[in-house]
Parts: sequence; C-alpha cells; structure tokens
Amino acid sequence: MSFRERLQSWRYNLVPDHVVGEILTKRWTDNAIPFLALVATLATFGSVIPGFFKLTALQESTRQLGEFSMVVTGMTVVMLGGGIDLSVGSIFALSCFSAVYVFFILEQSIWLALAASLATGLIFGAINGYLVGYLRLRAFLTTLVTFIFGRALFDILVTTYAADVQLSTATSDVLDFIGDSTFWGLSVSVWLAIILAIITHIALTRSRPGWHVLAVGGSRRSAHNAGIRVRRTVFMTYVFSGFCASIGGFLIACRLSGAGPGTGLNLEIMALTAAVVGGVSLGGGRGSVIKGLMGAIIVLTMTNGLIRLGYGTGTNQMVLGIMLAVAVTIDIRWLKNRHKVLNEVYVAPVYLKMGETQSAAPGSGTSYELDNRLSAAEHIGLGELEGPEDVILDRDDNLYCGTRHGEIVRFFAPDYVKSEVFAHIGGFPLGLAFDKSGDLISCVGAMGLYSVSPDREVKRLSAETSRSWTSIVDDARLRDPNDCDIAPDGRIYFTDSTKRYDAHDWALDSIENRATGRLLVYDPKDGSTKTLLDGYRYTNGVCMAHDGKSLFFAESWACRVHRYWLEGPKAGTAECVIRDMPGYPDNINRASDGNYWMAWLGMRTPSFDLSLRHPDMRKRMTRRLPQDEWLFPNINTGGVVKFNEKGGIVEAMGDLTGGAHPMVTSMREHKGYLFVGGILNNRIGRYKIAGADPNWTSPASYWGAKP
Amino acid sequence: MILDPVLDLFRGKAVTIPPLDGAFRPNTRLDDAPPFAELTEPDNLLVTGDRLLVSSGNAIYSIAAGTEPKVVGTFPSLITTLALSPSGELTVGLESGKLLISGKDVSLPAGIRCITALSYADDGTLWLANGSAEHAPSQWAADLMKKGASGSLWKREPGGAEFRKVAGDIAFPYGLHPAGRDVLVSESWRHQLVRFDGATGSRSTVLTHLPGYPARLSHSADGGAWLTLFAPRNRLIEFVLQETHYRQDMLSQVPPAYWIAPALASSRSFLEPLQCGGIRTMGIHKPWSPSRSYGLVVRLDQKMQPQFSLHSRANGTRHGICSVVEKGGSLFIASRGGDCVLDIDLASGGF
Repeated sequence: MSFRERLQSWRYNLVPDHVVGEILTKRWTDNAIPFLALVATLATFGSVIPGFFKLTALQESTRQLGEFSMVVTGMTVVMLGGGIDLSVGSIFALSCFSAVYVFFILEQSIWLALAASLATGLIFGAINGYLVGYLRLRAFLTTLVTFIFGRALFDILVTTYAADVQLSTATSDVLDFIGDSTFWGLSVSVWLAIILAIITHIALTRSRPGWHVLAVGGSRRSAHNAGIRVRRTVFMTYVFSGFCASIGGFLIACRLSGAGPGTGLNLEIMALTAAVVGGVSLGGGRGSVIKGLMGAIIVLTMTNGLIRLGYGTGTNQMVLGIMLAVAVTIDIRWLKNRHKVLNEVYVAPVYLKMGETQSAAPGSGTSYELDNRLSAAEHIGLGELEGPEDVILDRDDNLYCGTRHGEIVRFFAPDYVKSEVFAHIGGFPLGLAFDKSGDLISCVGAMGLYSVSPDREVKRLSAETSRSWTSIVDDARLRDPNDCDIAPDGRIYFTDSTKRYDAHDWALDSIENRATGRLLVYDPKDGSTKTLLDGYRYTNGVCMAHDGKSLFFAESWACRVHRYWLEGPKAGTAECVIRDMPGYPDNINRASDGNYWMAWLGMRTPSFDLSLRHPDMRKRMTRRLPQDEWLFPNINTGGVVKFNEKGGIVEAMGDLTGGAHPMVTSMREHKGYLFVGGILNNRIGRYKIAGADPNWTSPASYWGAKP
Repeated sequence: MILDPVLDLFRGKAVTIPPLDGAFRPNTRLDDAPPFAELTEPDNLLVTGDRLLVSSGNAIYSIAAGTEPKVVGTFPSLITTLALSPSGELTVGLESGKLLISGKDVSLPAGIRCITALSYADDGTLWLANGSAEHAPSQWAADLMKKGASGSLWKREPGGAEFRKVAGDIAFPYGLHPAGRDVLVSESWRHQLVRFDGATGSRSTVLTHLPGYPARLSHSADGGAWLTLFAPRNRLIEFVLQETHYRQDMLSQVPPAYWIAPALASSRSFLEPLQCGGIRTMGIHKPWSPSRSYGLVVRLDQKMQPQFSLHSRANGTRHGICSVVEKGGSLFIASRGGDCVLDIDLASGGF
C-alpha cells in the first residue's frame, strides 16, 4: 500500500465526515445561525463595553427587552401565518397613550387603563385582520396604512394632552410596581414576556389554532384544501399581534408614567428585524417564538450597545438595515439551497480495499463461473409485476412476492397466471418468510417488520430497536429492513441494511460503503427487538441453517457471507464463511440437497473496486456529477450461486444476456423448480433445476410435513 | 448561486457536456436500418469504382448486397485506414506503422508510427494523420486517458517522395477532409474540427463542442461532409480525466477493456463499469442513459456546420461508427461496435 493510499484510508476512515450531513438533516440547524449571531453579539458588546453585564445595567435593558420581545412575539405569529405587521409601533404608542389618558387625565383605576390599552390594541389588530384576512388586501400596504394613520393620531393626541399628563397627580402602587419593581430578580415586564412567550410557544406547537397558523403560513392553498378556515386564521394572527403590542404599550406607560413623541418610534423596523434575524421566515410557516426572542435580544443588544458606545440614531438605523438585509438574504438563500447543500455533503465515502477475487467470467474455469442458464427461465407476471425483491411459496404451491407499490401479490398454483393483491402494507416489501402458523412475515423497506395472517390481517411486529449511544440521526428506527428468517423457537432474525439511507436509496449506500448494517432479532413472546450485530457493509439475506443451530447472513458490499451461531460453544458470535466473492450477495435460502442458494444482485467491476480505494474521488464524483452519471457496481448482471454448509461453492448460474434476469435478488426452491426474483425486474422467473428433489418444499423443510 | 465561483474553488466545477440537441437531436435511424453486411469490427469504408471495400481486422473485404463479404487482400497486421488515390492506387495504413501504396511499402519519416487516417486531395496530395507519438492506433484509449496531445499532420506533395510535417501537438487527429489546399482534421480528444492551412500549417477551429469524439470525415455529393463520432462524451469519463490519482491507478491496474473510458461497444461483460443511469430497470435500458459507446453520424453542410444526425442510442447496438461513405444515393455506415455495415437510402430523405 502506497503512502498516499494509507493516508487516504486514515483520512476517510477515521474522520467522521458523515456527521456533517447527519447534523444538517436536523431541523434545529435552522436555529444555529441566529444562535451563533446571538452569542457573537453578546460577546462583542460584552467585551467592548465595560460593565455591560452588570446587574443594574442589565435590569434596565431587560425591562426594555420585556416590552420589546412582546411586540416581537406578536410579529412572529403574524409572520408565521404568512403576513407582516408594520403597524405594531403605532399600536404600541396608541395603547401606551390610552393607558396614560385613562389613568392620568381621567384619573381612573389602573385596571381600567389596562382595559383601554388592550381595547386599543385589539381594535387596531382587528382592523388589520379584517382588511388583510377577510378583504384579502396586501398585508404590507394595509399595515403600512394603519401604521401611518395610527402614528399621525398618536402625534396629534400627544401634543394635545402632553401638558395635562404632566400636571396630573394621579398615583398608584400597582403602577409603580409594574413600572419599577422586580419580582424574584426580574422585572414584571420580563415575567410577562416570558409567560406570553411560553403560552404562545405551546399554542403554536401543540394546539389546533397554532398548527393552523403554521399551516396557513406554509401553504395557504393546501391549508384551505385541508379545510382550515384560512381567513379567520389570518384575522386572528393580526388581532394577536395587536394584543401583544398593546400589552407592551401598557408596560411602557407604567415604566415612563407618560407618553412622549418618541414612544414606539421605529419599533416596527426593530421588531421586523428581530424576527427575521432570529430566523423567522418571511415566506411564512417556518420559525418559532424562541427564534423571535433570540432576534429580539440580538437587536436590542445591538442598538443599546451602539448607543452606549456613543453612536447616534443614524448609525443605529443603518446597522438595523444592514442586519435586516443580511438576514433576509440568508433566510431566502438557505431555504432555497439547504437541500442542495445536504445532497452535496451527505454522501461521505470511506476507504476499502476489497480482497482479490476469483473470476466469474464464462470460461474462467472457477467454481464461480457464470453461465446463461437463467435466461431460459419461464416468466411469471411479466409486465404486471414491478420489483419482486423476494419470492416465497406456501404449502399449497401459491407464489407470493412483494412489489414496489407496497403490496404483496399472490400468484395461484399451478400455472401462476392468475394473481391477486394478497395484502397492501405500503413501503417496499422485501424479504419474506412463513412462520409455523402460516403467517407471512415480511421485512418492509422504510417501515419495519410486518406479519400478514392467512386471512390478510396486516400487523406491525417491529419498527425500532434500541438506539446506540453515538448516533446523531436516530438509529433506533429501521431504515432498510431487508431479509428475515425464523428460528425453530419462533424468533425472527432479520437484517437492517444501513442506517444512512432509506430503502429506495440502497444503491447510494454502495458508493459510500460505510459499515452500518445490522443483524437484529424479534422475539414474538415479548415483542422486543434486539440488535445482535452492528457494523457490517449492507447486511442482506438471512437464512436459517438446515439444523436450525446457526444462520447465514450476507454482507453485500463486502461480498461476504457470515455464519451467526444461535447455540453451541460459539453462540452469539459470527464468523465469515465465504469471503471475496466476485459478486454482491443478496438473499440466501435453503436448497433441497442440504445446500444453500444465494442470489447475487450484481458483479464487482475492477473500476468500482478501484474507486473504493479512492474515497476522495467518490466524494468529488457525488458532488460534481448528477446521480445518473455516478459509477456503480455492475448490477446489470446477477446470478444464483449454490454453496454448502462449509461455505464451499457448488455451482453458479446467471443470465449474461441480461434480457430476463439482469439483477437477481432472491430465489426460492420449490418442488424441483427455482423461482427467481429481482428488485428492479418486472417478472419472476421459474427455472427447472436439473436433479432436484421434486417433492421438497421450503415450508416442510422449516416446519415439517403438513399437519 | 452567487457564491458558486467561490465554492467551486473548494468543491470543483460541475462537469458538463454539450447536450444532444438541435442537429444532434437523437433518433433511432441507425438501429432501424437493416444490416447490409455483417462482419467483425468493420472499420474503414472505401469506394473503388463499383466496388465497396471495407477493412476488418487485417483483411480488406469487398461487400455487396445479398452476398457474403469477399476477402480482397490480407496484411501482416491490423489495417487502420484506407484511401484511394485519384489514379486509383489503393493506399493502406497498418497498425505496425507501415504505409502501403498499391501493395508497395512506402518509407516514412521516423515520427509516423500511428496512422489513423489517409486522404488524397484532388491534386494528388496525400494527407496523413498520425494519431499519437506514443501509442499505436489500437491503444487510442490509453492515449486519451493519458491526456495525449502528441498527434501530428503530414502531407506528401503529388509526385514528391517525402512526407512533410505540417503541424504537431494535435490531440489525436482521426479524420481528414481535404478542402482545396487546406485540410479539415477531426481532433478527437478536443472534440472539434480544425482546419489546417496547407502551406503554413496554421490552425483555425471550424466546429467545436461536439457531443462525442470525432472520427473520420468523408465527402458528400453536394459538397458537404459526413462526420462520424465513434464514442459519446460522458460526464463520468470527463470527471475521471480530471482525477489524476484514480486515473493513473486505473491505467496501471485495470485491464483496458474495463476502464472508465469511451468504447466502441459496451455492456458486453459484467466487468465493465456501470453508471447509475445505465441500470436496467423493469426490463428497460433507458436510451438516454449515460453510456461509454454510441452510434452517431453527422451530416455537415458546405460550411461544415451540422445539419442533422443519425443515432444509435445507449440501448442500441450500432455503436462505434468510425467511417461512412456515400455511394450512388446510399450512405454506407460501418459500425465497429455492432459488427455490421448499414445501408441508408439518402434519396428517400426524411432526415
């Protein structure tokens, strides 16, 4: 091995590149950018401004934050519903004025002031909501109009009543408490903001109206089609926004004991910036209250910090504008390109040097030598079937197979011309096995282990195993259950081929070649599923040995067959019995002569074997070429191989023309015939085996003669 | 994306190839045509008087409708190209680097070892394309995968005895088409047609960005030309050409038949590379799937611009076309990958 190759093997086998892709599949990565921005902002201003984190300074900041974050929460909800509310600043100011007017000029109780404040907010919110939701005007223009109108009204009122407020002598303990006191170290406004945020968060994520808001924001038309009352939902978001702004206005009225021309000025820009910087999508449907709050903290820290550093209002506005522009750009570009980035980084190939193999080429004279016998097989279901990965026969000679439509199809003996859908499961039914009672057990790709009773009742047996400690993507879920077989005691042994790809992307796993295949066991007595073995390169076929004391399983991408011992001195351990085959093994089943049939789904090619030693090349290939152009193992030629108990190869047959059975994923012997299936084929083959026992059947071999 | 130019520095540019569109729009005309004659790897077609000659292995055959191909002559090594002088002398280039005119060995300068094409101009000037300075004609794939550009263009004046080098550093010249004093050369590895000035040897490109590797050119009756493309461009192959380490290991460790390289025929052995799009699904091999071999004949007008083309697509068999010839209203097409010569009636049109 050259030095370069050794370096490559270290680089690609020891550095866990796949982690990047797995992390990117997580929804919370959307929060990562605003969170990092938050940390960066706090760190910057904390280090530049002396005493930034002092309690007294924080106290004043947080009071402001309480009011501001309420407004942002309202704005977040409107944006989640697919709208925008530019009038929050003027609603905030008017509510503040309402409270001040009722309390200082009319000298009414503080509670009446609160009621007036809330009423102002709700009325303005309802106006916005009615215009945008019911009359379906443009949100941007409508709320811009209410903003201008509200602001103008506020300016007139403030100039008219400013002097009266100054002269008023009204006082209230409640007002002082709300405005100045702290409760468990936090000011009332912060408490209120936290409570509001929690309630809103719970409502959005766990209640029907909240889900409706997200659904409407995500896709108005779909929401409408799903029966959601879109107009009312939109209306309610604006009312809620008005409500939030009015509480904020009331709080600032308490804190400042008055209203001035600066109250709520530019608040709409700040709130919008906060929501967008926090990661609430402008397009609607994506975001959360927490994101809004993060944005609120970022924006407030930024503006206050700049003021304390001595920068004027102009700079502040400029910084806000730049932040908004950057956030909007990231929001749109990230949303649009996230899946592309994920596609580019997800496939993370590893290094593997395959062992030298014997040739399977015709004329090579090895035991693996493929011939053309399978091309002579008769067709069953030609043109009707799509993707019979596995085939099986029952005691009455009927033939069953899965299809890529998620169905199990039954062909009736003796001529296998008539067929019916035996059961619909969904997913992609792969491996099949009959248990003692005649239930059909199936590994369903992308779903789990299922059983279908003779009267067609579908039951899920298992869809998860225990999660491993180091997993990032939840590996408890069965992604690609592939083949199963049943031990004499009724326990079902099955494989889950990969943790990295879903069932339909199984071929991508061959490009990556990461060893994540598992062997699992399902115990029908207690319904538990346990992982027996982990870390194989695409575990595939499983077959119980004739004596029931061990099982064979195939490791496809490594071209090996292993034997796992169920009892005896080696119980619980696996040993490799066939290694370095020239083909990729798939399902394994019993043969009538005491040997085993193994399907080859494809053949190794020198160019692909070489690419396994060049993981960097494969990685670049997945990034620079579209998937259709990627180098694959040659799965246009497969075969059927018979091997004995010790792993010796008895014979091999294939269809070299590729006309009938290019790729073979399964075969089942039954009464002297071999039934051949292929996951990418459109037929089942029926091939007469020379010299096979014409009475031998698989159900009898497993469970004895007919009871 | 606006960041692509920056990101490309880290991840590399996407590999792209010209689409089969416009004059190259795919059809199945080559696969629809009945075989005119069947013989192993027919390479170079030539019309002498009434006879149609074709080279195959180290023999020249005469082919006619309804009869078996008849051997006209055999040679000590593989025949790489044929030409006929205006005075009717059969000129044959051999794999061994020898040139025979009317059966007589012609002495060649030391630089000529890979004769890929021969062509006489109307005035009797003999043009000779020397594909590579390092490889024999049959090792063309190695020359491509080593990014060879050591081909050269030679000419012998009428009556003159010596060949003179007109130009060098050509990436596998594979076809010649004399046009007055100049000559048009198909430069395979650069997917283009180049015109060389007969006197100075200066070059000017005529047709670039071909969707395949151009092979030989031949005259058409109306003053245009027929261009054959012996293999398609393939994004995986172009990608491997950028991958130095993998390519070097492939050249040294993998048998040439199983390289990720263009081929005259493909899907004959399970040891050949397979691309995802080429997987047979539900009994179908997609005709638009990426392939290492393809059949493509292009008609060029008098300005050497493509007019229309004849195809055998990825799921077809008439691949690896290196030579065509027009004779009496018919176009004869030799498919090396399909082991047959086709006859397409030009008069019926329909292109």
